[in-house]
Amino acid sequence: MHPNETVIHDYIDGALDVRARTELERHLAGCAECRRLVDDLRDISKAVAGLKDEWREPPVRAWGRLERAIRLEHEHGARRVQQGDAAAHAEVPVKPSSSTALRLVPWLAAAAVLVLATAVGLQFRAGRRAGPDATTATPGASIASGDAARAVEAELRAAEEHYTRAITGLEQITKTEQGALDPGTAATLQKNLAVIDQAISESRAALRTQPASEPAQESLVENFKAKITLLQDTVALINEMRKGNDAGAARIVSGLKPKGDS
Amino acid sequence: MAAPKQRAPIPFPSKEATVSQGATHADPNDLVARCQAGDVDAFETLYRQHSARIYTLACRMGGSVEDGEDLLQEIFLQAYRKIGSFKRDAAIGTWLYRLALNHCLDYVRSRQAKMNKLTETLDAEASFEPMARRDTPIARMDLERALERLPEGCREAFVLHDVEGFDHKEVGELLGIAEGTSKSQVFKARAKLRAILRRH
Repeated sequence: MHPNETVIHDYIDGALDVRARTELERHLAGCAECRRLVDDLRDISKAVAGLKDEWREPPVRAWGRLERAIRLEHEHGARRVQQGDAAAHAEVPVKPSSSTALRLVPWLAAAAVLVLATAVGLQFRAGRRAGPDATTATPGASIASGDAARAVEAELRAAEEHYTRAITGLEQITKTEQGALDPGTAATLQKNLAVIDQAISESRAALRTQPASEPAQESLVENFKAKITLLQDTVALINEMRKGNDAGAARIVSGLKPKGDS
Repeated sequence: MAAPKQRAPIPFPSKEATVSQGATHADPNDLVARCQAGDVDAFETLYRQHSARIYTLACRMGGSVEDGEDLLQEIFLQAYRKIGSFKRDAAIGTWLYRLALNHCLDYVRSRQAKMNKLTETLDAEASFEPMARRDTPIARMDLERALERLPEGCREAFVLHDVEGFDHKEVGELLGIAEGTSKSQVFKARAKLRAILRRH
């Protein structure tokens, strides 16, 4: 009879007392199936032990997103100060980052402006996500009292406008600069964009038949967000390639695997 | 919307009580002081030093790079808001780690509450299927992908115990579950990983 699951895991964790360990080892000596299980779990345990100090670098765009969010929040805080909200006085003031503007080539700076516009649209999704911090992070997303459903639809329309404007601008930049990409990467990007465009079309179609459908609304915003993320990655990739930063470019490319692949 | 539950202070992983500060040449006290004064350049330096550690934790706890990126942004935004209250009674990396873990736990709880889905369906799938014979160690990327496929509930317990180094008592406190439940969730996760890696 095989030992139970708990005993095997405790053995791997070194949590068995001497008697139980001896008993198990006696069983393992004569049971290939359990030996195999122990070997597999040891392999996994060994591999997992290495994960503790194996860290992933976040996407290149992540700092830009964060910096924009900090600035938006600061701007909102400044408005609250003007309106006499005492809590806003306690917020950390923002000193401008000297590096950002200097690092951006002109067309990328244009992209940054466009993406800034999307931050307003992003509030739609962030505000709907559960959690008090998401709400305070995007104060504009709160829905005033009154007809909530109508407010959500209006909010969605406003978000869609912002997204569409940002996407148009980013598409223009990526089209102009796409020569900097190798054909394989460009093809992958196009394939991904086509998949997202299809998803956007489907979300829009769903909203036409059910304008109040929350899943359809969220799906549309998620798809907009996916498209902007992909375009931002493309701009970041072009920028890295122009700077000759192969490592930075490779990191971005590694995140551009074709949609639909497992 | 319900207010977040008060939680006891987060303990440190019992296997390893230190949190890396990342590669830095700057004086941490000076950097913190500049961040507290609202210097975005300094905050960017802080972000560069700690973002990989926090992003990795967020990806693993959230179960996807998409969730990881959103959580990373929310964590650092929260850090930016709260750094004024940082008293320097711990290393800044430790403070950030606690903040990040708290935020990830809130997110996981909120999602679980929404989906009302734990791991009851796991048992049938994650039977003790042997992995394919391997002549080489399990690749890190294979393992990371397999982690993303673990069901909610057992993934968080597994990450906290087997990766982050908390013991089962601590995992139980962090996730609001019994110590024995933490143990069984971790064991389920390992069995599931074995099954996933077998098919990989």
